[in-house]
Amino acid sequence: MSLLRLIIVLVLQVLILNQIHLFGYVTPIFVGYVLLCLPKKTSRIALLLWGFIVGLLFDMFSNTAGMATAACTALGMFRNSLMSPFTPRDTDDMFHPTVIALGATRYFIYSLSSMFVVHAIFYGLDALSLHDWQLTLLSIIGSTIFAALLCLFAELIVRKRK
Amino acid sequence: MRELIDFLLSYKHWFVFLLLEVTSLIGLFSSNGYQKSVYFTTANSIVGYAYTTISSVTSYFHLASVNRDLEAENEKLRMENVALRNHLHAANADSVKLDGILTDYQVVMAQVVNSTLHKATNLITINKGSADGIEPEMAVVSSRGVVGVVYLTSAHYSIVMPLLNVNCRISCRLKQSDYFGTLEWKRGDSRSTYAVGVPRHAKVKSGDIVETNGYSDIFPPGVPIGKVSNIGDSEDGMSYSLKVNIFTNFETLRDVSIITNYSNPERRSLEDEAQTAEQGEE
Repeated sequence: MSLLRLIIVLVLQVLILNQIHLFGYVTPIFVGYVLLCLPKKTSRIALLLWGFIVGLLFDMFSNTAGMATAACTALGMFRNSLMSPFTPRDTDDMFHPTVIALGATRYFIYSLSSMFVVHAIFYGLDALSLHDWQLTLLSIIGSTIFAALLCLFAELIVRKRK
Repeated sequence: MRELIDFLLSYKHWFVFLLLEVTSLIGLFSSNGYQKSVYFTTANSIVGYAYTTISSVTSYFHLASVNRDLEAENEKLRMENVALRNHLHAANADSVKLDGILTDYQVVMAQVVNSTLHKATNLITINKGSADGIEPEMAVVSSRGVVGVVYLTSAHYSIVMPLLNVNCRISCRLKQSDYFGTLEWKRGDSRSTYAVGVPRHAKVKSGDIVETNGYSDIFPPGVPIGKVSNIGDSEDGMSYSLKVNIFTNFETLRDVSIITNYSNPERRSLEDEAQTAEQGEE
């Protein structure tokens, strides 16, 4: 299931989203969505490896060696921490953080914070200096919001159909 | 030990995280031209700054040895300086002042081999004689000024009658005012002599230079003798008797020059003739 999701997301990212340059500086990295969908029981090591692989695949197709890998690995590291404030306490290990389980608002904040980690690192490494930091900041914020909205819509489409 | 392993295991995801991040960053910096250049530029400036800081600190630890080296070099240079100065002094000993005044005269260099200073009739022996063209009545000077007159010669040695001899009479003049007198030495003081016969109307002040006046056919005019140090009256009260500090230091005198071509035979023979005629008339 996760593997299928990964392939679909990757195709979407490479073929469509990588061609989008909204206002010249907003290009969302949607592949992080795969990590958001992983169940609560997933161990940190597994999350890290997922993030590494997802990022690596993104980099391979986007010619951005290492940047998305670093960003998605970081997301894998912090996903559980970012998710825990939005999950009910008495959940079992099979809990999936979906828009149905969390609610649209909570899910949006969850995806927003997660995407911020990814885009902050990605565009930070892209610029790698404080030169033109305003543009870098705009890229981070714009792409974060864009990607978070994409996650929310994807959830709504996928979960509602079931 | 077990606790340590547990501790490490509880943080294993951090190690995996760091490993993966480092891997991705290596990929980033090794394959992207821009990031690579930023990395190298930044790394270079950071490393350069670190090296500068380190060396500015560690340089203090080397100060002791640096100081020691500098001290040794200083000493070496100082000794070299002294040696060179001695060398220069020896080389210039006979030429410094003579160059200006005696350019037209031929000079024979000689060394003092014996001298007396504390008798009434002091004499100096030099190591050049008639074989070197030295004749009696020739002027002897040092780098500082007048020494005396050649008195006797042998083949390779000469006796010089210095200023410090009661029989030595050398006519002189005051450089500033051109009034002339005669040098007379009074026994006892090897540093000074007296210029007598200077007219009372002459304007003299302490510090005036006394030099040869060229009236005799021994010394060319303008060879320095000494400096007026005291202005007194002669015994008869008719003229000044000026105490003159001699420039030449006879106590350390070693190198002297003998002027060999100043004497003019024609002038001398004429003067001798006149003297003889005068005596004949008497």
